[in-house]
Amino acid sequence: MSGTGNCGKCGICLSVCPVYAVLKEEQNSPRARVQLIKAYKNKKLPSSPLLKELIAKCLMCGSCAANCPSGVDHYSQFMEMRSQLIEKHGDRLEIRGLVYLLAKEQRLRLAMGAARMGQAVVPSAFQKKYRLGNIPVKNYPKLNKKPFRAEVPEEIPPISQERGTVLYFTGCGTNYIFGETGHAALKILSRLGYRVLIPQKQTCCSIPMLFHGGVEEARENIIANIECLQHENACAVLVDCPTCGSALRDEFPAMMRKYGLDDAVAEQIAAKTQDMTAFIADHLDQLTFRQEDAEPARVGYHLPCHLKNAAGSSEAILRQIPTIDYVQLANSGDCCGGGGTFFYEYPELSGQIAAAKIASIRESGAQIWLTDCPVCRINLAGQLAEEDGIAMMHPLSLLAGLLDELDKQVL
Amino acid sequence: MLKPDVKMELVAIVGSDRYVDQPEVLTCYSYDSFAEEAMPEAVIFPLTTEEVAEVMRIASREKIPVTARGAGTSVCGGPVPVQHGIVLCFSKMNKILSINTRDRHAVVQPGVVNLDLQKALAPHGFFFPPDPGSMNFSTIGGNVSHNAGGPRCLKYGVTVDYVLGMQVVLASGKVVRFGSKNIKDVTGYNFSALYCGSEGTLGLVTEIILRVVPRPETMQTLLVTFDSLDNTARAVSDIIGSGILPAAMELMDKMTINAIEDAVGIGLPREAEGTLLIEVDGTTEACSRERQQIVAKVQEHGAVTIEEACTEEDRNRLWTARRAAYGVFAKISPNIVSEDVTVPVSRVPEMIRKIVEITDRYGLKAGVLAHAGDGNMHPLVCTDRENHEEWQRVEKAFAEIFQAAADMEGTLSGEHGIGLAKAEYLPLVMDQDTRDFMALIKHAVDPDNILNPGKFV
Repeated sequence: MSGTGNCGKCGICLSVCPVYAVLKEEQNSPRARVQLIKAYKNKKLPSSPLLKELIAKCLMCGSCAANCPSGVDHYSQFMEMRSQLIEKHGDRLEIRGLVYLLAKEQRLRLAMGAARMGQAVVPSAFQKKYRLGNIPVKNYPKLNKKPFRAEVPEEIPPISQERGTVLYFTGCGTNYIFGETGHAALKILSRLGYRVLIPQKQTCCSIPMLFHGGVEEARENIIANIECLQHENACAVLVDCPTCGSALRDEFPAMMRKYGLDDAVAEQIAAKTQDMTAFIADHLDQLTFRQEDAEPARVGYHLPCHLKNAAGSSEAILRQIPTIDYVQLANSGDCCGGGGTFFYEYPELSGQIAAAKIASIRESGAQIWLTDCPVCRINLAGQLAEEDGIAMMHPLSLLAGLLDELDKQVL
Repeated sequence: MLKPDVKMELVAIVGSDRYVDQPEVLTCYSYDSFAEEAMPEAVIFPLTTEEVAEVMRIASREKIPVTARGAGTSVCGGPVPVQHGIVLCFSKMNKILSINTRDRHAVVQPGVVNLDLQKALAPHGFFFPPDPGSMNFSTIGGNVSHNAGGPRCLKYGVTVDYVLGMQVVLASGKVVRFGSKNIKDVTGYNFSALYCGSEGTLGLVTEIILRVVPRPETMQTLLVTFDSLDNTARAVSDIIGSGILPAAMELMDKMTINAIEDAVGIGLPREAEGTLLIEVDGTTEACSRERQQIVAKVQEHGAVTIEEACTEEDRNRLWTARRAAYGVFAKISPNIVSEDVTVPVSRVPEMIRKIVEITDRYGLKAGVLAHAGDGNMHPLVCTDRENHEEWQRVEKAFAEIFQAAADMEGTLSGEHGIGLAKAEYLPLVMDQDTRDFMALIKHAVDPDNILNPGKFV
């Protein structure tokens, strides 16, 4: 992990930090966090609850690191510092609870089941009135009836000529909340001729834990994931969530080294990890879409930070689909303010960051707003009103829905 | 920490959320992009001229030092509060008050980020020419206080050439207004020009009337490489000397190109000893003619390759790469020292040879980049301040570089300002009587020396 020594304090990061853009306070900027960490390491500043807050009031979007000309690894530094400060000053009870749940798939499954029952029994009057973070309770998505991975077999054969095998890392978003994304992915992959393996032993990618000091809690998850994703015959490890993608690509190898374990397999998996939409974009010519729609839907896109900062985007594929009216939003690459649990911890600030995005999607007249990241989706959908008539979904869901009917294709 | 009763008075002006004095937060206002740091005792975020005036009335009564700060991206230590006291941070006072392209002016608060002004002007087909490397994040207030330049200032001039007037809060808390919205105005002293580059030592600029100009019809950008740095520099002084005026002419040596290429990897010519990034702008016809003249000149000086950036995207990539130069050097070593000595353009080849000779002689890892067309050099030295022996060599080398610039009728700073970085070298280019005159003005305006004390005056 690189040190803070090479920060030239140039300030480029100020121009890409969503939190600084709203607050305009140096103490809430990436440059300041790097300097604060340096002061703490040099024992010029003791640890304190305020120091913890200044380090934590960050979306962990990674835009500072992605744009730093001096190669400062803000992301890892912030993660490590968060962990140290949480150890000393604790974290909110509900955030600790989240780390506890994510550390064991069984706990998570039970909690999600209970939460689903809860959603069914909470009076709608309460749902209308109350907010969690900056989002009205009624705007939270309904949880999957059954976890996605419990609904589908571990191995799904292709329905056209077989091209190869891929592994699918579904992430918690698809598994517990947005099952339809997973079904859409399977529909497209099997149409493309891929045998899809969904290892049942996979579990949370651990990023939420790592952001909240759960370095030790994450260990078991990371090892389990690496074990079940090790598969020589698979040509790719596909993710539908950009944050899971960054975990598999960057954090798994780094954390294995941190734990003092062999990182070879983690590196192999990292090299094979690919964003699902990008994988499909590479094979787009092998899919046939309906050629006409009476009234093509107007579609906007929000590019999640963890995809943008890994040089990815689902935008290119959207431009190639004939039956949608794709409208490019000027701020489609701006952060939504969701940031894992940020929208829950700093609701007002998060709302301010989201406001410009909400205004521009409303102005665009789009009926469908796509984004790859489940947290961005929850956050943005949460800010929309029912009368906006804007549906949010993963790009895969839209693509799957636009595929030509198979029987017609065969004819 | 300020005295509790003084703190209470200040909090009463701005409210407790815009007055901060916890050590964690103060640490974040102890620095800019320069190496030296110093802690303030309080940071205040004003939103209005009245708030600034009220703060100054208390500060002058209590004789508390006050240092203005925008985004804190100066490279000379300008906003570093060396005598502690209050940092007045203008980052939240960031409204564009008006844009009037019919009369060609814009009125802004000091915290407006240069890029945000450019974005607001673009739909009108206008722009604000000063384009410091930090333009995406530095503030207009900071640009004014340091009289910032940038690549295209070769053709368009620097910040002072675009300041029509301003509102200033004096040390006493009195509010004064200089200039007007008129392009021509010789009513009394040109105080706005005096305040440009005064680095917060004469007052606090709270509103600025800027001249804005129409965007040129077209821009063409060339990337030219040479097999010797000397030829590169000769081409620059020959082009300017022959009467051609490009919008920008940036020189980069081999080390700079490689440092940038290592960081951003956009296919810059790694092998070349010298590279010029040249931009012409104006009507399409004028651009084509100037480009041909430039091509002929660089060929005379043995240009190895001449490439044109054909698309807006290519152009942006080249400029983004150039703007990253300061930061990419930080990647190579713990500290970088970047200076901005400036010489008459005919002396550019001589000055570059001198910089290379001096840094070689002191065994330093150094790069040369320059806004070469206006003689503005940026020697960059990679170093580690913890290495005392090397640091001494760095200081000696720069002392010689400053002396060399002075000997060539050059000056210490073209666009960064003096701040903490170069205060001790002022006598090289300013004699005693002139420095006394500067001190006289400072004393008349700020008798208790509370405005950014400890800097060059």
